Amino acid sequence: MFMDDAIDEDTAGEEQEITQEDAWTVISAFFDSKGLVRQQLDSFKEFLENSLQEVVTENADIVVKPESQHNPGDENVFDEKEYRIQFGQIYSAKPSFNEADGESTVLFPREARLRNLTYCAPIYVDIRKVEVTMLPDDTQVEENEEVAEKVYIGEVPIMLKSTCCSLDGYKPAELAELGECPYDQGGYFVINGSEKVLIAQERMANNHVYVFKKSQPSKYSCIAECRSVAEKSTRSTSTMSVQLLSRQGKKAALSGAPIKATLPYVSTDVPILVVFRALGFVADKDILEHIIFDFEDTELMEALRPSIEEAEPIKDQQVALDFIGKRGAAVGVTREKRITYARELLEKHMLPHIGTDSLEKDATKKGYFFGYMIYKLLLVALARRPEDDRDHYSNKRLDLAGPLLANLFRLQFRRLTKDMRRKVQRCVDQGREINLADIANHHIISSGLKYSLATGNWGQQGTQNIRSGVSQVLQRLTYAATLSHLRRVNSPIGREGKLAKPRQLHNSQWGMLCPAETPEGQACGLVKNLALMTYISVGSPLSSVLEVLEGWGTENLEEVNSAHLKGATKVLVNGVWIGINREPQNLVETLRQMRRGLNVEAEVSVVHDIQLQEIRVYTDAGRTCRPLFVVENQRLNIKKSHVIELLKAKDLVDVEPEQRYGWNQIVNSGFIEYIDTEEEETTMIAMTIRDLKVARLIKAPQMAYSDTYTHCEIHPSMILGVCASIIPFPDHNQSPRNTYQSAMGKQAMGMYATNFQTRMDTQGYVLYYPQKPLVATKAMQYLHFREMPAGHNAIVAIACYSGYNQEDSIMMNQSSIDRGFFRSIFFRSYKDEEKKQGSLLNEEIEKPDPSCTAGMRHLTYDKLEDDGLVAPGTNVHGKDVIVGKTTRLPLDEVNNSRFTKKDCSTSLRQSESGVVDQVLVSTNAEGRKFVKLRVRSIRIPQVGDKFASRHGQKGTIGITYTEEDMPWSQEGITPDLIINPHAIPSRMTIGHLVECLMSKVAACVGQEGDATPFTDVTVENISNKLHQCGYQSRGWEVMYNGHTGRRLQAQIFLGPTYYQRLKHMVDDKIHSRGRGPVQILTRQPVEGRAREGGLRFGEMERDCIISHGSAAFLKERLFDQSDAYRVHVCEKSGLIAVANLRKNHFYSQIYGNDSNVVQVFLPYACKLLFQELMSMCIVPRLQF
Amino acid sequence: MISEGELPDRLKAQFEYVICGPDINYHTTSSYSAGTFTPSGVDYTWNFDAFKQIFKIDITHRDDDTIEFDMSGINVAVVNAFRRILISEVPTMAIEHVFFVNNTSIIADEVFAHRLGLVPLKVDPRLFQLKAEDDAPNETNTIVFKLSAKCTAEKSVGVSGDKVVSGDLQWLVGGSEMPDETACRFSVGQQELLEGQRIDVVHKDILLAKMRPGQEILLEAHAIKGVGREHAKWSPVATAWYRLHPEVILLKEVEGALAGKLVQELPGLIVSEEHMGKQVAKVTSAREHEGLLEKVRRLSGEDEWKDKLQLRKRKDRFIFTIESVGIYKAEELFMEAIDILVQKCDNLLASL
Repeated sequence: MFMDDAIDEDTAGEEQEITQEDAWTVISAFFDSKGLVRQQLDSFKEFLENSLQEVVTENADIVVKPESQHNPGDENVFDEKEYRIQFGQIYSAKPSFNEADGESTVLFPREARLRNLTYCAPIYVDIRKVEVTMLPDDTQVEENEEVAEKVYIGEVPIMLKSTCCSLDGYKPAELAELGECPYDQGGYFVINGSEKVLIAQERMANNHVYVFKKSQPSKYSCIAECRSVAEKSTRSTSTMSVQLLSRQGKKAALSGAPIKATLPYVSTDVPILVVFRALGFVADKDILEHIIFDFEDTELMEALRPSIEEAEPIKDQQVALDFIGKRGAAVGVTREKRITYARELLEKHMLPHIGTDSLEKDATKKGYFFGYMIYKLLLVALARRPEDDRDHYSNKRLDLAGPLLANLFRLQFRRLTKDMRRKVQRCVDQGREINLADIANHHIISSGLKYSLATGNWGQQGTQNIRSGVSQVLQRLTYAATLSHLRRVNSPIGREGKLAKPRQLHNSQWGMLCPAETPEGQACGLVKNLALMTYISVGSPLSSVLEVLEGWGTENLEEVNSAHLKGATKVLVNGVWIGINREPQNLVETLRQMRRGLNVEAEVSVVHDIQLQEIRVYTDAGRTCRPLFVVENQRLNIKKSHVIELLKAKDLVDVEPEQRYGWNQIVNSGFIEYIDTEEEETTMIAMTIRDLKVARLIKAPQMAYSDTYTHCEIHPSMILGVCASIIPFPDHNQSPRNTYQSAMGKQAMGMYATNFQTRMDTQGYVLYYPQKPLVATKAMQYLHFREMPAGHNAIVAIACYSGYNQEDSIMMNQSSIDRGFFRSIFFRSYKDEEKKQGSLLNEEIEKPDPSCTAGMRHLTYDKLEDDGLVAPGTNVHGKDVIVGKTTRLPLDEVNNSRFTKKDCSTSLRQSESGVVDQVLVSTNAEGRKFVKLRVRSIRIPQVGDKFASRHGQKGTIGITYTEEDMPWSQEGITPDLIINPHAIPSRMTIGHLVECLMSKVAACVGQEGDATPFTDVTVENISNKLHQCGYQSRGWEVMYNGHTGRRLQAQIFLGPTYYQRLKHMVDDKIHSRGRGPVQILTRQPVEGRAREGGLRFGEMERDCIISHGSAAFLKERLFDQSDAYRVHVCEKSGLIAVANLRKNHFYSQIYGNDSNVVQVFLPYACKLLFQELMSMCIVPRLQF
Repeated sequence: MISEGELPDRLKAQFEYVICGPDINYHTTSSYSAGTFTPSGVDYTWNFDAFKQIFKIDITHRDDDTIEFDMSGINVAVVNAFRRILISEVPTMAIEHVFFVNNTSIIADEVFAHRLGLVPLKVDPRLFQLKAEDDAPNETNTIVFKLSAKCTAEKSVGVSGDKVVSGDLQWLVGGSEMPDETACRFSVGQQELLEGQRIDVVHKDILLAKMRPGQEILLEAHAIKGVGREHAKWSPVATAWYRLHPEVILLKEVEGALAGKLVQELPGLIVSEEHMGKQVAKVTSAREHEGLLEKVRRLSGEDEWKDKLQLRKRKDRFIFTIESVGIYKAEELFMEAIDILVQKCDNLLASL
């Protein structure tokens, strides 16, 4: 609505530059082609297309040798024979479902959701079997080759809207026809009918060398560590570190502190020189050349002196290996064994990402990398470089659905191969034919994957290190809540940890993670949300990058003379030191240029660290990236003409979206590139397009902040996430308020999906008449907030009025409520199914017959029809049975009673009521009768219900006034809502006021207001617009008191503000009890509203009464109203006596009738304690 | 409110006007008793003859649905009573009970019933009686409507009946067609009672529901008499309100260039006139330039005009507006309100 552009420029003869407004065309193109859950979809695609095959391929063949059978007759005439089973190509099909009667159908997500099925697709693999005979002369003969094509090995859950999904390729209208919400973006799974999201898991990046300083109590002053994992390996990380001992150690005699290395599987630290020697570098000079490339640097040389001196006695490789071997696990074995052990350790477990081949092959590279670690350590120790930042986001990787599933699949596939090996072995041993077709037990993979996705426990069932909460039930309260859930990031650090650092917002998270959206309390700062335009790399093949590196003068490390390293730039790819380059600038430029074209993947990041003389290239998965405009010569590469082309392409409806000029074309033309967190550190990013204009002004260079920009933000408001993008003018609010709103937006009611009528969610809230906001941010159009809004444009007055709005309560206009203001529907679904298990469990859905059914409760069964279900349109209450179900009693029990069945019906939740909305009768996966029933009830706003604006201003209704009691303005307008002015000053939610002001203008002008943050809109120009409409410029209105009819002294700030109704309503919470059910064990009142429980009289309440001195009241609360009980006690022994009150018989079990029996009142819990103690052979006696 | 003595100007202004300051309204209350100023010879005792003399109603606008009139010489409490009565106490007929026979549309029964309730019915409520909670519905207290809508699709015609509007409500003269379910039994048809008038909805084009082919709604809706206090659907007005009569005055003579400037700032509201050879600013009617009043208020806070310009409102002169929903004519409504007030007074007197 408001725009201004101050700086003019002479653009004659050149292509027209784009404006900040045009950036939105580009952003639209981004969301048109990517949507909002692209990271999930891309990641899953990578899993299906590559990871799946890789897992299968990397698994070694199953080799089975016949167990040598001892047949006393023939001796050793065996020719060595073995059976090999190899896996080949893997195939996946479209999701399908096998009905219990054997029919197989294509499965659509809707059906899976409704019938509690799992949305998954079968996968098949080619299996090849050969028999290999080893001839005595060491040749192998393959025979009896047999290939089984496409053997069914299990089912993989399919992510909705992924390439493999049944819905892929459908148009919005067709989706609606299929009963899907056209706005649903997918990105989740359907497991047993419930929607599951895989939450991105944050972790430290592997293969990086991190250098940290250690503070006093530690032995070391400095430590450089590297968690090394070979690419695509299944092994867990092997951590290796080098550390510098603290100076004030005992051996102060030496000139300084020596450096030690920690190797995996080696218990004690090893001097670094020993490691070098074990690797095969013997001469001191040779070793030094791998650490320091410039021998003139005496400071560095001096720092290494103690280390050299320390390793003096160990002179050659064998001694060094032995030295390491002695400190390893191999104790008490021969020297030869120790050496081979140490050798293997260095080969396989030390820095496996460099290589795991023989030492001869990898020693050079490992030596260089080891030296590099020491070098970095020394740089920090000598304070030439600061220590690494653990919380810098470039040191983090996000594991999305793809990698998570790949890990899980790897585990399950290994289980499958183990199982297959067992089967093959048995076949071989028993001399049976191996039947490839049914060698694979498909339940292993299917149920393994399903288990983890259903429970969220990631990893092997029953083993250690399982992560919980990885898969969560998708939130479906509001559309925004759903989207935000699909973009959530979790850091699996202990919630109770007191360390504040990992929770704080880090500078490097700018543009990648939302600065506002995080929960409060325990998970604050650990659970994060992606910013709107964040891209997570999926990993790309190295080959193209390596080609470029080689082509542009990178010398392989193995071929370089270590003496020549001085001055050269190191080239590292994914943390592996590949080689050196002498023209780094050139190489970096080329790489970037190629990335902007099509030669190198767009997600590859190129970092040129000039200080460290390093070029680091990353292609791994899980890096957070974001798109930025590319700037060359302080001009954007993208020009007006491209924006125009984008706009034109948008209108081409009949062309396939992929063919239209869009985001991909822009990226491929090098107008925009993805920059990850690490590369971002080497860029200069202009905040706005105007900054570039200023940078170009030759006349006044001092005006510019910088004139060396390399990139430009597309729009600063894109730093926000889904929930924070709904806040109008967040840049006018105190920051915690935006955080509060981000949390509250998820509890708002509206319309959570357009297909809510056909869904059977356990709970669902829908507003009668949702309205789109008068004032919206631009980002909201991508969140479909206008299509699926969650609130009303309420006319809000900020006034005290009668005072029924104190302490965050609000007054609401009852007449507005009568007219439909914030009315909503609440849906709750119930599920029931017939379970059948042999003859023991045999359930049937029917109307229970009281004459032959045992255990029928005091409920209304009348509303059930003959099929055992309540018909749609029936009013139901808390005491009504909605699904009648009986179990057949076992025959032996039936014999001596009139009952043949037992009741196990489902009743409506207590304290709820409504109308049966929809009944679904179907069959479940086992083919049994399956019923879902949806109850609808209306929720009319009433005193106590919770509402909130979009600025973290929440409140409950304190009173409802009818129209005539409400104040009215000059124009006869009565407010819908009156909030208290005291809610504003301390919270500083200026955005709330600005929103109101702009809404007022918007309502007058008849246009939607633009509340996008970081734009040129000012309060002043909104005020002027309002004044032009004939209103007081600051939104004040003269109002009249509805009760007295007099004019109010103060003028009232009045205008429309978008309000949300939150799901917390009194009707769902109201609870009281006089007496009611008690727990069986303790006979104390039960807990919770759902069970009609008591209200706890807790410690603090108790303390109050004690201090007040009301002993009798205290006893009444804690005893009489709780678990009062009477026991009879033998006076002599103090033990509970036997009492028969009816016959008036009392006797002590110890003293018989020789003792008096007294009556004692005590809490039942106390009696229980006594008895429990007795069961442990402790005698509690009551003394009199 | 007329007397022999005169109050000092300052007090008189306080008594008679609300002064609209730039950010606060002064003297909004007039909590003086009638005898406060008797020592100064001013008597504010209410007296009917005097009231008859000064009370005046001036209709400024009138059509079927709205009426706007100036009312002066009357106490604010009485005017406010009229307003409150209009909104919440003038009875009308509105649909209260809906009996669904069939509803296969996507709109929920409760929601649809709520919408039906809000449809204004063109019927004179005076012809009906209030139905108490346990009264049986009959021809004197209930109006029965039937709504039968079905959406069909035919190849030649296309989709028809996809929109259910208020005009689809049919009045059942003879009462409920399913008296067993609704317990509503008419002894005679309602024609006689209504002297031949037909009952209908005020607006026939209110969209109530949208349907797809094959969907159907069949229901009976029973309207009863009620008042707006109970539910807004019975309110006969969209709204009724009043505001005080604005006045703009010049506290000092504004002349010369300053006058020109003021004219420029407030065109139309201020005109300049030739007076004794000088240009003097003069105020025309504030009432006719209401769009400028907020500006006057703003200017009256600025240093330049602080001591010259003032916006004030007369406390006993009201601009009263009634926006009828369409059941009554707006002017009739006011008469109804007076009747109800009179009745209330009678009740009060009777019970004293």
